[in-house]
Amino acid sequence: MRPILLQGHERSLTQIKFNKEGDLLFSCSKDHIINVWFSHNGERLGTYDGHNGTVWTVDVDAKSELLVSGSADNQLRLWSVATGKCLFVWEFPTAVKRVAFGEDDTKIVCITEQRMGHQCAIRVFDINREEPTRQSKEPLHMFNIIGSKATVCAFTYTPNVILTGHESGKVSLFDVRSGEEIENNERAHSDVVTDLQLCKDQTYFITSSKDKSARILDIRNLMPIKTYTTETPLNSAAIAPNRPYVLLGGGQDAMSVTTTSLRQGKFETRFWHRVFEEEVGRVKGHFGPINTIAVHPAGTCYASGGEDGFIRVHHFDESYLRAKPYGDLEIMD
Amino acid sequence: EDAADENQSSAEVIARRKRLVDEWNAWRTSIRLAMFEDTGKKEADHGDTEKE
Repeated sequence: MRPILLQGHERSLTQIKFNKEGDLLFSCSKDHIINVWFSHNGERLGTYDGHNGTVWTVDVDAKSELLVSGSADNQLRLWSVATGKCLFVWEFPTAVKRVAFGEDDTKIVCITEQRMGHQCAIRVFDINREEPTRQSKEPLHMFNIIGSKATVCAFTYTPNVILTGHESGKVSLFDVRSGEEIENNERAHSDVVTDLQLCKDQTYFITSSKDKSARILDIRNLMPIKTYTTETPLNSAAIAPNRPYVLLGGGQDAMSVTTTSLRQGKFETRFWHRVFEEEVGRVKGHFGPINTIAVHPAGTCYASGGEDGFIRVHHFDESYLRAKPYGDLEIMD
Repeated sequence: EDAADENQSSAEVIARRKRLVDEWNAWRTSIRLAMFEDTGKKEADHGDTEKE
């Protein structure tokens, strides 16, 4: 499993995302830049240049036509994937921490930061796909998060219902029309929820947390189904399609390493068996914490983005794809 | 005797794993059915074919 090293960012990675086909990998970073790469050979296809601050988050639609990004410059931007042109800019009072497409790519949801007298807010925008340079400045829905601020979000299969992860470790479902909290699990984690990724059919999702664990939760009632407990704060968790694994990444930040850990780093991507909750392997490589992990939609490769500024793409060997380390038990995805 | 113990414990592990897989598959089936009831969508409508 020889990795491809993608060198094109000058500062730490914040989020990476495959498109639906998995041929493209989008990355954003504290260097203000968004890059797109060919996942099979690591060649850089292009750059989306325009943000004036850390780009915290990025998402691409299912047709690979539109890209949306959120940044510390308080902007949400819509881009043309093919031309690299910025199509529209929304401006907010605070930074945009998370964005996601949803509802057949007709909507986007974003989280803006709680700061300078502004509450953490969720906004949903309609996307005008016919004329992408003409978007409504005003959100279709907007509400403030009361209590612990939201750190991550995603649409669910139920129209107008979004999923959020919070600083306190809480996970919630909200009706975006009313801002009503439909369901919550206050104790999904005991520290910040750092990532949230849904499975392909959106019936369950995985969360990672600074509490050193990742969990699979049921989308209906937010009850934990599986827990993966590690010895390091986690920044990202991903589900490997067609294989019974989850991938976890994190690591003590540089300041904590010197004070709390003798063993420098622990900057490995950890593979856990999704059903047995057992660690099955680790992949080394990064020189700093792993901030973001994404798995190819077909499960043929994965990528990790690090605090070290590198993206590592690992194409799985045939042996990995064939292996049945726990026998012939048929495990549903 | 040691070998017998080992067999015993590995049999327990295998039984545990079988139980975990059965529970997982039962949960996956129930949640998918619930989703299809909620959305009125059939699995085939949900986009790509999902390999299990």
